[in-house]
Amino acid sequence: MTEATTTKATFPSVAWFEAVREIVNNDAGYKHHGTCDATVGIKIPDIQKYFKLTFEAFEVDEIKECDEAESENTDFWLEQTYAKWKEMIENIKANGKADLHHTLNTLDIEDPNDLARSNDGYRRDAFYRFNQSFQHFFDVSEQIDTEFV
Amino acid sequence: MSDATAPSEIPADLAQVAEEKGISLDIVRRALALGFPPDAVKQNLSMPGVTPEAAEAFIAEQEKIRAGGVINIPPELAETAAAHKFPEALIKRALALGAPPAMLINQMQAGITAEQAEGFIVQQEALRGGAGGEVQLDLSWMKVPTEWGIRVKPGRKGLTVGMINVGTYADVPDYWPYHTEMPRGAYPIPGVPSMGYSIFEKAELWSENSADLYEEAIQRRWRPSSDVPWLSMEDLDPDVEKAVCQLCTHISERSLVAGDIVGRWLPEMSYGYHEVKLYLSTAEFDAARWFEVFRKRALSNGGGLGVQSPGYFHRAMIDARAWTETSAVLHILANSQLKMLFDIGYYTSHNDAERTIFSYCLQDVARQRAYGSQHLRYFLTRKIERREEVHHYLNKYEALLEYEWECDIPLRESLMILLGGGATPELMRDGALKLEYFRQRWANDYIDQLSAAGLGERRKKVHHSIKKYLPQPEEAVAAA
Repeated sequence: MTEATTTKATFPSVAWFEAVREIVNNDAGYKHHGTCDATVGIKIPDIQKYFKLTFEAFEVDEIKECDEAESENTDFWLEQTYAKWKEMIENIKANGKADLHHTLNTLDIEDPNDLARSNDGYRRDAFYRFNQSFQHFFDVSEQIDTEFV
Repeated sequence: MSDATAPSEIPADLAQVAEEKGISLDIVRRALALGFPPDAVKQNLSMPGVTPEAAEAFIAEQEKIRAGGVINIPPELAETAAAHKFPEALIKRALALGAPPAMLINQMQAGITAEQAEGFIVQQEALRGGAGGEVQLDLSWMKVPTEWGIRVKPGRKGLTVGMINVGTYADVPDYWPYHTEMPRGAYPIPGVPSMGYSIFEKAELWSENSADLYEEAIQRRWRPSSDVPWLSMEDLDPDVEKAVCQLCTHISERSLVAGDIVGRWLPEMSYGYHEVKLYLSTAEFDAARWFEVFRKRALSNGGGLGVQSPGYFHRAMIDARAWTETSAVLHILANSQLKMLFDIGYYTSHNDAERTIFSYCLQDVARQRAYGSQHLRYFLTRKIERREEVHHYLNKYEALLEYEWECDIPLRESLMILLGGGATPELMRDGALKLEYFRQRWANDYIDQLSAAGLGERRKKVHHSIKKYLPQPEEAVAAA
């Protein structure tokens, strides 16, 4: 009998995003969506945490913590409060994937300022063009034993 | 048999195949001495079931035939030939050319006629017609003055269309001078009739992202029949099911029109800009897939199709006289509104099937907008004097789109029902408020797309019924 191992990581941190990256880069289901090329900022302004994720071809290439300006120097950035991020990740954990009320698309629609933001309408459309890849990225976090700061 | 053919004359790849099959190089030399091209020998050796014994028997039979010996027709081949009314003499001519009996049986069983076979055999005999069985070839085409020695290696995404744009093959001229179907980079021959293209200028169709969008569309393709979890659907409230079906009917109808529009323009575009033609062929396929998937949704959960749209806007798009006009209106204006419909469909999904459908459609429509905005950007930077012309198009089509929206009561009411969750007056009032929220998102999104295309001043000129949703200058300043 095999014993499942679960990675423990704290959200938000580079270690948490790296754990997700490790999973999707070895996940045939992620590759099935097709190639995905985008730089994505992650903004949690109320706790001053900012990250930059680089998606290329069939993998997530790079994860880094950065300042706010760099997180905005991307195709688009995902911005919501820490409480909303926590609720989303907990929902994914509870359901195995985001339910309809917690997908990136729904959160984007419900936020009058949008979840996905950009300084360029063309670059922002990468959020829609590769949306299933991004959703898959966050959905696999259900395999992580997430602790919150 | 002869050892006249030096081992060095056997191509390395052919020798490798022979070695893998356990077939001696002597047999290979004998095959080459009989005049069989190296590629043909390699292909035949590679076929399943080819053993050293079978190869020896085949070559020995060919050597006997070439020496004037009797041509024996194997019994199974003779039987098949008789059943398909192939003359014995024709079969013998095919065997004399080195055709394997099994292949001849397959061809006859596949339905090739004796007349078709004879035509092919005559060609092959003519090629072998020289003295001493030497093949008479022209080969002047091999001196074609195109760039040679290109060896592009695949990258992380495989071998993409963009990657093979190297050397002279990467030259995409501002004006394409050929009227034929000749691919860019090939060498033209005189006298080929015109294909009747009407777009020869790069500014009229180009978008820098076309090659990437083509690969993206191919990579991220989806199949409505099996990628949608159709069994996740359950019966809905009858009014809600009617609203879903009306939305499906509307999207199916405009998808058919979108496919027709792109299909009409593709033959107008010359082959100097194949990246655009390739991408737009996938956009046409997107439209077919949308038609398919929404028709399937309407007819798979107890409902049916709804009523037709008024069609003023769609018909006007078909009559557009320039591709840039068509693309700006179809890919930016119409598709931004279509994205709003997909957003509403996604937001009000009742099951995994609907959520999956709208999620895929959002991905497709965003790709089309990416072509539209980047083509318009390219056009505006090369055709500065035609900027006002673009505003003229948009003035006309925004007004038509808004008129269509006002006239299309079934669509608006179905959206209110979906957003409100039912058809009671109270729920529909709630739905109407939410619909205004989505309209506001759409209006801002549309202007953002035009700004990305370099037409930011459209914010001031946009139709008043869209403008009312945009932040006023004071609000924009305050927001900043």
